[in-house]
Amino acid sequence: MLDNLGSNLKDALRKLAGKTVIDRAAVEELVKDLQRALLQADVNVKQVMQLSQTIKKRALDEQPPKGVTAREHVLRIVYEELVALVGQKVEVTLGKQIILMAGLQGSGKTTTTAKLARFFKRKGMRVAVICADTFRPGAYTQIKTLCDKVHVPCYGDPSEHDARKIVREGLAQLKEEVIIVDTQGRHALEDDLITEIIDLNEITKATHRWLVLDAALGQQAREQARRFHEAVSIDGVIITKMDGTAKGGGAMSAVAETGSGIVFIGQGETIEDLEWFDPNSYISRLLGMGDLKALAERVQESIDEQDIDVNAMLSGKFTLRDMYRQLEAVNKMGPLKQVLSMLPLGGMDLPTEALDVTASKMGKYRVIMDSMTATELDDPTVLNGSRIQRIAQGAGAQLEEVRELIKYYKMMKRTFKGLKGGEKGMQRLMKKFGKMG
Amino acid sequence: MFKALKEKLFSARKKLEHSIEVNTPAQNEKPQGISRAEQIHPQQEVETPAPEQVKKASPKITDKIVSFVRDREFIISEKDVNDILDELEMGLLESDVAFSVTEAILARIKADLSGSKRKIGTSVDSIVRNALSDALLGVLGEGVDICAFIREHERPVKILFTGVNGTGKTTSIAKVTRFLQKNGFSVVLGAGDTFRAGAIEQIDVHGERLGVKVIQHQEGSDPTAVLFDTVEYARAHKIDVVLGDTAGRFHNRANLMNQLAKIRRVINPDLIVYVDEAVAGNDAVIRAEEFAKSVGMDAIMLTKVDMDPKGGAAISVAYAVGKPLLFIGTGQGYDDVMAFNPRLVVADLLGDA
Repeated sequence: MLDNLGSNLKDALRKLAGKTVIDRAAVEELVKDLQRALLQADVNVKQVMQLSQTIKKRALDEQPPKGVTAREHVLRIVYEELVALVGQKVEVTLGKQIILMAGLQGSGKTTTTAKLARFFKRKGMRVAVICADTFRPGAYTQIKTLCDKVHVPCYGDPSEHDARKIVREGLAQLKEEVIIVDTQGRHALEDDLITEIIDLNEITKATHRWLVLDAALGQQAREQARRFHEAVSIDGVIITKMDGTAKGGGAMSAVAETGSGIVFIGQGETIEDLEWFDPNSYISRLLGMGDLKALAERVQESIDEQDIDVNAMLSGKFTLRDMYRQLEAVNKMGPLKQVLSMLPLGGMDLPTEALDVTASKMGKYRVIMDSMTATELDDPTVLNGSRIQRIAQGAGAQLEEVRELIKYYKMMKRTFKGLKGGEKGMQRLMKKFGKMG
Repeated sequence: MFKALKEKLFSARKKLEHSIEVNTPAQNEKPQGISRAEQIHPQQEVETPAPEQVKKASPKITDKIVSFVRDREFIISEKDVNDILDELEMGLLESDVAFSVTEAILARIKADLSGSKRKIGTSVDSIVRNALSDALLGVLGEGVDICAFIREHERPVKILFTGVNGTGKTTSIAKVTRFLQKNGFSVVLGAGDTFRAGAIEQIDVHGERLGVKVIQHQEGSDPTAVLFDTVEYARAHKIDVVLGDTAGRFHNRANLMNQLAKIRRVINPDLIVYVDEAVAGNDAVIRAEEFAKSVGMDAIMLTKVDMDPKGGAAISVAYAVGKPLLFIGTGQGYDDVMAFNPRLVVADLLGDA
């Protein structure tokens, strides 16, 4: 979301490293970088100014508690203020409920409705969808096709023009626990349509009214959100199209305006691309503070314990065999870069070339390692010219590729060693933020 | 339309005028004391060959005096404009002009205004008005007359619509169809969005309502084939214009962008129209640049202008790719489309409202 924010902040924070007194110039620079990043991410201009003033004031006025360095103190303030910006965590309950979807034209309501239907169904709920979009041609076909894919019943009638009637009849007929009502796209200036959604909210007595917003939405987000909130009192925001390059800052402004939080994030066009949003983990990751909870969940979800031994890796005993396991695990767990972003690395920079290894290259590396003997895997130092030649022949690879693999291994080993060095500082940092959470 | 931006620009302009008005008399008074002393060596000053650029960068007090005394001009200092430009910056940002574009426009206004000389008698109003409107017009470029474009090209004229998901490509195609019909052209539509569920039904219903043929294959088929067939159909039936729909796609998906490039190679469209929404923020610049780079674009259509956007996206997109705006979409009906006239928009933005 605010990817460029991460690196800007890390640079600015590095300037504060080791200082016990807050350096005004460094804080001002940090605030400026922060403003720039937030404005580029489409966060509302007024909000950005307010936030940066608060951070500046707090950073300069508040005395860091004993034993806390200036850097940690400022980082903590930035963390708290940014968490406040993205809103509270919205709990999604798995009970009987009716969800009313609202949003502008083309924000992705219908696709998101199908994704939500799949989400609740996978959690073991009985789900149904009502198509209340009576305006856009093809809307019913679209939601019906998507619902059929996940085997969820879809109520609708493309020849009926009264959305209220469809919803009333749909509710009478459907007996499922979770009912999601997809509505027509509308914007705040279309009075008839605003009246319609107010009516639909009354008819459904909806448990949740979620506002679907495009990540690319700019300064308008706040105003639109305000008027939707006035009409039906929005209690959650879903940001869609986060798989593009848009940063979703407009949607964050909408969150502040409605006093709700981000519920889900849509990350792609297929029906599984929906992620549950946790503001704390998100900001932690953004600031390089790590997200051990998410990492633990991810690890538990995708790999067996024997697959990857993080402790062994961090202790510096990192062999080619570990790397082989790691490459295999990566397939199940997602890109290494993403996994490492969950570790509390503080402002540490990891060599990006070590992390940006493409999937095809990973495959090639595995083939090469398959041609190595057990001794070579356990102790890569034995690798010499003739061994490399043998391995290359066995794997059907070029000599350079084998050498490249060894280079990559060495880089990874160094990286993990570096992590170990920073461990102490990291732990301290984690403890601090642990107290807050 | 674009009311907020207009108000912001208007108030900033007023301030700019005010600041120059206030500052000039001050400048005016000071020199009068010194000027007598300076009068002694005016020749010296004139003789030293001062290149224009050096003068512009930092106008010395002597330059100011020389120009005041000899040419009856004022030099507008950078300091005069800085404060107001800060306010203008906020105005542009709040109007959704992307961050990078805002910085570029401001740099231009600053360069135009600071250090420039103003003749006594020329109104400050016209200086500020010109600087702002030059900057905005420079960004927006010229409009396109689509009807003239079609008349000048060999039939069928092939127009391809591209853009990211949910910007309103299909609805825009329906509106442009109606617009062309009203101008006496015959149209055929190609249902090139074979990916999104319901997309073919959507364009098919539009075609039926507008009374134009829609060439379609099944969901999931090759869009290039669909559009190829559409062009063939237009040739065989002597139809004037082919409007090709495509599936929305993100500019960071190489495969989907390659697919678009393939469509372009095979169909060889006369005009590629990039559709984006007027409510988009900073991302408008990034994706427009990517689309322009990987598949090219000849014109821009901006949709959802009725959502009360502040007009910044038009400036952002036009600035990013340097292509003209063809149409703006202003609602859900078939007739809610307007040809875009940059002069009118800029005049409107800077008008004394």
